[in-house]
Amino acid sequence: MRAFNAELSKLFSLPGIWLAFLIGVFAPAVIAALDSIAQQEEIIAGVSTRLSEVGYIGLALGVQGVIILGVLAVSSEYLTESSESGGGGQITTSLTVIPSRLHFLLAKAGAVTVISILLCIVAIMTTVSATHLILGEYAPAFEWPRLIGVVCYWTFTALLAFGITVLTKNGIIPLAVLIINTSVVSFSFLLSKVTKLALYLPDRAGLEMFMFMSDRFLTPFKGGLVMFAWLVVLFIVATIVFHRRDVAS
Amino acid sequence: MSVSPSRKITQILGAELEKLVTLPSIWLTLIGIFILNLVLATAFTSIGLQGAAGTQSILNIGLASMGYLQAGFIILGIVATCSEYAGGQIRTTLTTIPWRGLQLSTKHLALAIITIPVAFIIVASGVLYTFFMMRDTAVGFKTDTMIMIKTLVGATGYLTLTTLLSAAIGALLRRTTPALVVLLGYYFIVSPLSRDFLPSIKNYSPDMAGYYMYMPPSSDEINVLTPMQGTSILMLWTLIFITVAIVVYRKRDA
Repeated sequence: MRAFNAELSKLFSLPGIWLAFLIGVFAPAVIAALDSIAQQEEIIAGVSTRLSEVGYIGLALGVQGVIILGVLAVSSEYLTESSESGGGGQITTSLTVIPSRLHFLLAKAGAVTVISILLCIVAIMTTVSATHLILGEYAPAFEWPRLIGVVCYWTFTALLAFGITVLTKNGIIPLAVLIINTSVVSFSFLLSKVTKLALYLPDRAGLEMFMFMSDRFLTPFKGGLVMFAWLVVLFIVATIVFHRRDVAS
Repeated sequence: MSVSPSRKITQILGAELEKLVTLPSIWLTLIGIFILNLVLATAFTSIGLQGAAGTQSILNIGLASMGYLQAGFIILGIVATCSEYAGGQIRTTLTTIPWRGLQLSTKHLALAIITIPVAFIIVASGVLYTFFMMRDTAVGFKTDTMIMIKTLVGATGYLTLTTLLSAAIGALLRRTTPALVVLLGYYFIVSPLSRDFLPSIKNYSPDMAGYYMYMPPSSDEINVLTPMQGTSILMLWTLIFITVAIVVYRKRDA
């Protein structure tokens, strides 16, 4: 528990975390609001087709905030600083204080999970109020199962970013891959045109939890299960690698 | 010791080039982009071969990976300038080269010298792969060599300018993660969304203007900007950001 508190306090003291909060809380609402305004014109014209998606698109893209959170939680430990300020390498200090590497990873993952869930709940509140404010009675129905799907998607994505960063030790690759993959032009979407197997990739399967895709493949529950399975495999690999690795290298 | 100005610039350029060439992450990024591009070219070609033949030209398919490719070059630009700040190298740099404006502009020049050939090789390899794979289909013979070279040059220019723009942003923000989030967020989230919401100004944003630099001429789409106009708009953006970066860099505590 003390390790968990320590990890929380470390996360909150990172300067980059405020960027994550900013994106996580405001981006979904802004995107949903812009999309709602566009939808409003279509409703008036009577050609609206994807009204039920409006708020959820914001939430699907707002996941960027927790990606940054998951990546920063790990990559900040490996940051090198100039020799004048001790050379950085917080990880050495962290593992001196918590010698059990498994405990350390679990505490960190726990802190990331808690913050992601909180961030997601705030994002849902801002998004729902933004859509209701603009669309009024046309606002899409926000049902509990779908909203829980959103929370799961955010948390799993944050942990996915966390796990990949444990493997790479550097924030650049996970950030680039995950940001592109949650955007409009994702690798998974491209690959799914080559092979149907790509629909089982974690981000694509995770979206099934709350988005109504035109080419629906998995039920929401199964989608969540597939994403969770990826997460478990990644965490087992990350734990083994982290356990065997020399910290200083 | 007095050194003639031209000799001074050559020496700074040599130093900046050497710093970039010896940076391992630059090589990792470049190799990564190259492999990624070939994988993407394979994927797009296989989609193209499955799809209705004859609707898309080889150039369109060969350049389809540009959207992803630019991410690699954004990373390249950020790594080039942010690496100075990772271990306090910047203080050594400024001790040996105390002319800040000159130093930063030479860094951009050195980066351009490295990026241009690499970008050309990477773009050309993707297009060539598509060309060899699809030569047998009927679409293959329609491609004009002149248009192909023009498009390749345009794509190279686009990638180089994007790299320089990212380097300027990297120099402004000084940290890899925020710079990466800002740029990738803009290029992959904000920009595609703003195309729908703000259609009136989209052609003047750096990435859309740059798109016209390499967009192959087609009959069914209207090219709003000529390649030259696109180039000048993107170049203007890049120069503005480099200037801002230099001004801030000169004022700020290292």
